[in-house]
Amino acid sequence: MDAVVQFTSQSQGRDRIFRATQYACVLSIYLLRNKIERKELLAKLKSLEAAMSAGRKLFRLGNTINSIEAAKRTMQLSDRVLRLCLTAANMTRALYFVCDNALWARNVGLIRDINKERWSLNASRCYFASLVMSLSRDVYVILQLMSQRARDRHFREKMDAHLNENPEVAGVVIPQLDAFLFLLLEIIKSQPAVALDTLKNICDLFIPLDRLGIYRSNAGVVGFCGLISSLIGIVTLAQPKFRLKP
Amino acid sequence: MDSWVRFNSQSQAKERVIRAAQYACTLLGYTLQKGGAAAELHKTIGQLEAHMSLTRKLLRLGNSVEALESAKRAIHLSDSVLRLCLTISHLNRAMYFACDNVLWAGKTGIISKLDMKKWSERSFRYYLFALILNLTRDLYELRLLIDCEARHRASKHPPSPHPGSADQLSSPSSSPVALNAPPVMLAGLRRQLRLLATVLYSNPPLSLDLLKNSCDIFIPLDRLGIYSTGSGFVGLCGLTSSILSILTLIHPWLKLKP
Repeated sequence: MDAVVQFTSQSQGRDRIFRATQYACVLSIYLLRNKIERKELLAKLKSLEAAMSAGRKLFRLGNTINSIEAAKRTMQLSDRVLRLCLTAANMTRALYFVCDNALWARNVGLIRDINKERWSLNASRCYFASLVMSLSRDVYVILQLMSQRARDRHFREKMDAHLNENPEVAGVVIPQLDAFLFLLLEIIKSQPAVALDTLKNICDLFIPLDRLGIYRSNAGVVGFCGLISSLIGIVTLAQPKFRLKP
Repeated sequence: MDSWVRFNSQSQAKERVIRAAQYACTLLGYTLQKGGAAAELHKTIGQLEAHMSLTRKLLRLGNSVEALESAKRAIHLSDSVLRLCLTISHLNRAMYFACDNVLWAGKTGIISKLDMKKWSERSFRYYLFALILNLTRDLYELRLLIDCEARHRASKHPPSPHPGSADQLSSPSSSPVALNAPPVMLAGLRRQLRLLATVLYSNPPLSLDLLKNSCDIFIPLDRLGIYSTGSGFVGLCGLTSSILSILTLIHPWLKLKP
């Protein structure tokens, strides 16, 4: 109980729970869309999803400053590629929050004369850009770890043992590919934070891809990916050792 | 900026800021109505206030558990009055949050056919009980501190047999006792007020909590119809108490413990 209370006392913790609920609703609505007898349940799920979405927009009102502060911090990093990727990701995320705040003001009625569709598309574009930069950072970190591991002598002995194990197996037909995959799996097993962050960003990517029309999937895929990424977000927040630093 | 990030990361802080904005909207709506502003603007402010109220209900979805945990901790206090007041206050707050969650479910359509008025009155009743218990605790602590301060003053300046004052108090002079009574009472009252002012000035957490609870109590009193003050006064009280609780979040030393 104490851990639950501590988790929900962080505003990010609550936001992730609401996001998970929102995308679970989206997924359930898609799965139940053809069942006529569940019409009432469907209506309730839709109103729950709308309530979560509207509430989350209000919570996010202060997050622009958070992202700008994070961008200021990442500008001090020593590694140039990390500095570029993370600062760009944080700045585009700040722009996404600005668009999101404008959309909130429009929904509530404070601002009347902005084009809702245009601002919504801009928000999706900024979000997409920030996800691409985060994924680039993930790929860079994985490549760095792989090259580091490959140079390690102990690991090279292990890999040679694996490659010489069964020469008849189909995977060994392309030994370089097999070696690459073995190295990749080793990295994923020993550095779960990177793997979780990559998976989260890939799942998140489907949401703006669908919204912008670049890769149209359906609401079910969007809901499922959103739910997975929210659950990973909850795990990384509850267990700091799974969070990728910086 | 860094302090804003830290402040924003607490979900209670966000809820307080939204509460301050909600009661500011109530106050603004009242002044606009009095000033005869456009109906459109008034409607927007009303909608914004309703949106913030519903979002705060969403944000408070887990608070029953927190209140129960606080009640569990308060049972172990040593002072019996404090133990009683705080435990029952936290239990009432837990019930208030539970009713509030039901209201949220009703407003968003998850529970259909909910008697909103009944549940709203129920939740305000629990809130009122919790506030009365908090005020009782504040007054109890104030009483203790005043007694302590009076004893401290008595020990520092023992009452010396001063000829002047003794004459006035117990002189068998010709003037009747009744004429001497008001100055004595007035002096006693002035002394008590000075003690009260000293205690309040030197204990900012207690004064802040007392002021906050006094402001808060007008909200359920108005909503339950026990003492209707109007939306303007309710908005002002709500805004003041929200700002005071934001202050206690920014400066944790201002929070009254336990």
